[in-house]
Amino acid sequence: MKQVILIKYGELTTKKDNRNFFIRTLKKNILNKLSNFKFDIVDDYYRMFIIPSNDDIDLIVDNLKNIFGIHAIVIALMSEDKSENNIKEISLNMMRELNYNTFKVETKRSDKSYPIKSMDMNNIVGSHILKNTNYKVDVHNPEVLLNVEIRREAVYIYNSSIPGLGGYPVGTLGRALLMLSGGIDSPVAGYLTIKRGVELYYLYFESRPHTSIEARNKVISLARKLEKYNSNGKLLVVNFTKIQEAIYKNLDPSYLITIMRRKMYTIAEKLAKRYNCLAIVNGESIGQVASQTLSSILSVNDVTNYPILRPLCSFDKLDIIEISKKIDTYEISILPYEDCCTVFVPKHPVINPELKHIYEEESKFDFEPLIEEAVKNVEIVDLKEKISDLL
Amino acid sequence: MIYLDYSATTPVDERVLDSYCKTTREFIGNANSIHTLGSKSKELLMQATNQIASILNCHPKELIFTSGASESNTTAIKGVAFKYSKFGKHIITSKLEHKSVLEVMGYLSNIGFEVDFVNILPNGQIDLKNLEELIRKDTILISICAVNSETGYKQPLKTIRQVINKKNPNVIFHSDLTQALGKTRFYLNDLDLASFSAHKIYAPKGIGILYKKRDLQIDTLIYGTTENCPFRGGTPPLPLVVAFAKAMRLISDKLETNIKKCEKLKAELLKGLSKYPIQINSNELCVPQIVNFSLLKIKSETFVHALEKYEVYVSTTTACSSLEESTVLKAISNGNKDVSTTSIRVSLSHLTTMSEIQDFLEIFDKVWNELLLK
Repeated sequence: MKQVILIKYGELTTKKDNRNFFIRTLKKNILNKLSNFKFDIVDDYYRMFIIPSNDDIDLIVDNLKNIFGIHAIVIALMSEDKSENNIKEISLNMMRELNYNTFKVETKRSDKSYPIKSMDMNNIVGSHILKNTNYKVDVHNPEVLLNVEIRREAVYIYNSSIPGLGGYPVGTLGRALLMLSGGIDSPVAGYLTIKRGVELYYLYFESRPHTSIEARNKVISLARKLEKYNSNGKLLVVNFTKIQEAIYKNLDPSYLITIMRRKMYTIAEKLAKRYNCLAIVNGESIGQVASQTLSSILSVNDVTNYPILRPLCSFDKLDIIEISKKIDTYEISILPYEDCCTVFVPKHPVINPELKHIYEEESKFDFEPLIEEAVKNVEIVDLKEKISDLL
Repeated sequence: MIYLDYSATTPVDERVLDSYCKTTREFIGNANSIHTLGSKSKELLMQATNQIASILNCHPKELIFTSGASESNTTAIKGVAFKYSKFGKHIITSKLEHKSVLEVMGYLSNIGFEVDFVNILPNGQIDLKNLEELIRKDTILISICAVNSETGYKQPLKTIRQVINKKNPNVIFHSDLTQALGKTRFYLNDLDLASFSAHKIYAPKGIGILYKKRDLQIDTLIYGTTENCPFRGGTPPLPLVVAFAKAMRLISDKLETNIKKCEKLKAELLKGLSKYPIQINSNELCVPQIVNFSLLKIKSETFVHALEKYEVYVSTTTACSSLEESTVLKAISNGNKDVSTTSIRVSLSHLTTMSEIQDFLEIFDKVWNELLLK
């Protein structure tokens, strides 16, 4: 008899032909994440099993809680002896270790050759527990739900299940480029995109010396937080100073933000193509600020045919903050450093920009060479932290 | 010299000492200062804190650096008592605790708190049935150590948490993990508060940690808080934090191997001791690094000093209460004075060698015979 971790797949169950690819990727992601632990891992079409070599179960479970593609994590007792007596004894001992009053037994028999039917097994195990303990049966609202899963290779007995993150295994659905500003929203948008199995690269626009090194470090910290869920992401830093100054000096100040964002998306599209990203992701939430009204979105989106994903478009700020706290980015996001969207803010940014006026304004200056230069000189920042050798 | 008192304190690992010295020399800035030297120190402080958090499996913001486990214990217990006294004044602890816990409990009961001691079973574990009976609506805190320093008895923290959750989930659970760190595995998420000390894991004396679950509010003990020490006042002692982080990494990398080694040493020691009419107090529920036995016929203090002549160093009870009768053994042995006043604690380490154990047994034999003949 052994303690094992049983992993129930998330939405994968809806996949048919490429299901094996999803499971293989999930397994790879789990092996990556648990590289510090010793264990055996076995998978099949319905379940994955982790058999730890040491007393590491709780720690392994904590790590599994941060992996997408897992619906539930269960700590089960596994025994190859599937005899009725053995199942009765394991169940009884498990119930004795718990400290509750009511219970119910639920048997699943995926091994259809097993001689005892599920309902009968419920009765056999249930009455054995009733006879030997003070527990009472409650079929509607039991404090303990004792699960007995009889499979071909072994029987698995467990009484509680820990919810996983859900979603798809990262890397099963291609790569996207996340516009990471340093605010609260974009990391959350990134997290929700990763959740759908999409791997991320990060894009940050920097306006040195108007923005500081702290602002860049803040974005690096945010990207590192997301790397806990993502794998092998890269941070692309674009030097945006010249473009921003050109807009500031030559064009209508109330359109500064709109045009600046148009240039950002022009650059983002070029970089997305270069780094095989199939979409651009941002943290826009409709109406949150002047640049996120529908007409602002329309006038910015006008520069690209590339898919732009806005996972937060219908989220309230408070809901976004809640997720940002959960993924531990909130406290970094609220650090008060200027980012390039806040350095040249006009007093009254236009709320409903007009495309006609935008085209007129943009024709006043030739941005093309500056954009080419910015794309050419993009800097790739290593997200692996260099740990001091004193430690 | 044969040093067998590693549970009292440990020699500092050379590699740890090296980091301590380098940090002291090279990082002169205060991590709270806003200039470059300050941010350089702050970055190292954060890396060290993150490293400890990742080893302990918690969030870096859940770690509060203190001067040692005694301060951590005091802060945890007083902090909960004062913050939550309006919800109740009932606290549960055990006789297995360190002095710093027991004395705060004494102080609190003098000022109107009600402190109950949970029964201890003959095998050294706390009586979970009794614990369940003791937990009341107005219980605010339970403090039970993970490993008793005198005997090495381990407590089932996870089960204690289950009992708490069932009876009154509002109760705050503190555990002194000083003797657990580097000796056994534990899972911090079962606890609300936990105390650690660096000098038990081959790091310098003068630093400890209080782990405090993030959303838990407790009263602060030392005022003068800053951005980097939002809970406990004081300049972050960077060299000590770095040393602690490094020692923790070194010890946790080798935990499995060290446990196995100490198990072998312990077996050898117990085999050698089995021919004497003494009582072995440690059992299979204990960490392998601590072996406690009662000589029954010879007072512990006499024996410790006799061994000292041969440069063999062991303890009577714990270093912090060496001259008193052992409260732990008194509790377990139903007040049998022969057991509680004649106990010896031998504490092992991965640094201990098999030949040291054999030498110890030889010297033990000499001293035993000398003292019995007197």
